[in-house]
Amino acid sequence: MALSIEELKAAILKKAQTAPKPQLYIKDFYACDPDSKPRVVKNAANDLVKEGKMMFWSSGSTTMYAMKDRIKDEEGAGGVN
Amino acid sequence: MAKHETPLLDELEKGPWPSFVTDIKRQAEKNPDCWDILGQVELSYKERITHWKHGGIVGVFGYGGGIVGRYSDMPKRFPGVEHFHTVRLAQPASKYYSTKHLRDICDLWEKYGSGMTNMHGSTGDIIMLGCRTEALEPFFYDLTHNLQQDLGGSGSNLRTPANCLGQSRCEWACYDTEEACHHLTMHYQDEIHRPAFPYKFKFKFSGCPNDCVAAIARSDVAVIGTWRDNIRIDQAAVKEYIAGNIPGNGGAHAGRDWGKFDIKKEVIDLCPTECMWMEGGELKIDDSECTRCMHCLNVMPRALRPGADQGATICCGAKAPILDGAQFATLIVPFMKVSADNEFEELIEFIEKIWDWWMEVGKNRERVGETMQRIGLPTFIKVMDLEPIPQHVKEPRSNPYVFWQEEEVEGGFSRDVDEFRARHAA
Repeated sequence: MALSIEELKAAILKKAQTAPKPQLYIKDFYACDPDSKPRVVKNAANDLVKEGKMMFWSSGSTTMYAMKDRIKDEEGAGGVN
Repeated sequence: MAKHETPLLDELEKGPWPSFVTDIKRQAEKNPDCWDILGQVELSYKERITHWKHGGIVGVFGYGGGIVGRYSDMPKRFPGVEHFHTVRLAQPASKYYSTKHLRDICDLWEKYGSGMTNMHGSTGDIIMLGCRTEALEPFFYDLTHNLQQDLGGSGSNLRTPANCLGQSRCEWACYDTEEACHHLTMHYQDEIHRPAFPYKFKFKFSGCPNDCVAAIARSDVAVIGTWRDNIRIDQAAVKEYIAGNIPGNGGAHAGRDWGKFDIKKEVIDLCPTECMWMEGGELKIDDSECTRCMHCLNVMPRALRPGADQGATICCGAKAPILDGAQFATLIVPFMKVSADNEFEELIEFIEKIWDWWMEVGKNRERVGETMQRIGLPTFIKVMDLEPIPQHVKEPRSNPYVFWQEEEVEGGFSRDVDEFRARHAA
């Protein structure tokens, strides 16, 4: 059975805090609840950004998610966008 | 007065073409920060390495796209480009805007940014080049409140949908591209402004197979107008073209004498499927062989028109990366009615089926065309709940094996092997 939205958000935050890499793709969060549809996971992750608990990190071509205290600003990724 | 010596860039001003170097120098007279663009680019030309970094957490509140962070890796030497973020503005449908609106945008950008622009980016956005982080929010406020314009897409978002002039100006448009583009833009605001996918996703709307927005080459879902009945022929106008009373190509290329119009040489012999001929003084077309190349319609627009039963062909999976791997879209649906009457329901259902599949199986930074290629067209067609049709076949089959699905095999894949081997020794 799929997690509730609040449970899913908690699982996403835990993953964002503990993953070895500070920036994660949306697909990295799918494993937080294999029973939730990708679109539900995406909406939960975007809600966490709206709530100020996570941030988007964008290279221009791809967007990743990160905890604010785990990344530094003013970084470039390289590549096309 | 130039702030940096730029001998290499100066060479680029010597040719016959307009030069971005001249443009930047002109802008630097107004905004001295622009000298540092020239200084940094000159250094990159000299050292053959870029000094730009891009990417970051910059953006405006509530949005997860539209701003691309850019920074100099030599901010002390080039302080004017320490922050040089790009802002993408959603272009109006068909890129219609008044000169007043354009001036207002430029004035706003001179107030908050470098004043440098790029009209238009490859997705169609109006690109504003060079802004400091602290100027982003005030710029966005004025843009949305005073100019009623929005940011475009970037990152793993749905990118700003683009369309041709469509029925607003063009007699060949087979559906209302502007209505379709506007409707889907409004319908997918969340996907445009916040990341939703493994990578970027684009739709483009062309009204006819001339494909003036290059949808077939650049978009993940290309909606290209077409017809499924016969090309409408005005035989009287055909005779007028042959007699030279109507100029070919709508009078284009008229700066030179091309000689008398020759329908055989200029139209019939150039038909890629050789489906046209003259018979009894009339132009005949075998429409079942027509591939919608549009050449004959382009040459004789007053004699030939698209058929009356109009809709769109849907092709999927194009991409046009600069470095490598460009690919054209693959035809998926030969004909679909595209109409505002049902709020583009069929198209929206089609798009969302692709998204559900791609979000599940697409790899990070993989365009949907790459996912289709990796997993295979047969699976994609099945996922889309479509029946395979001859138009899906790119070339004759070269693989001798036939792969059956379990439901197609009597007894499925769980037959008793021992019982089988009793009759057929290994």
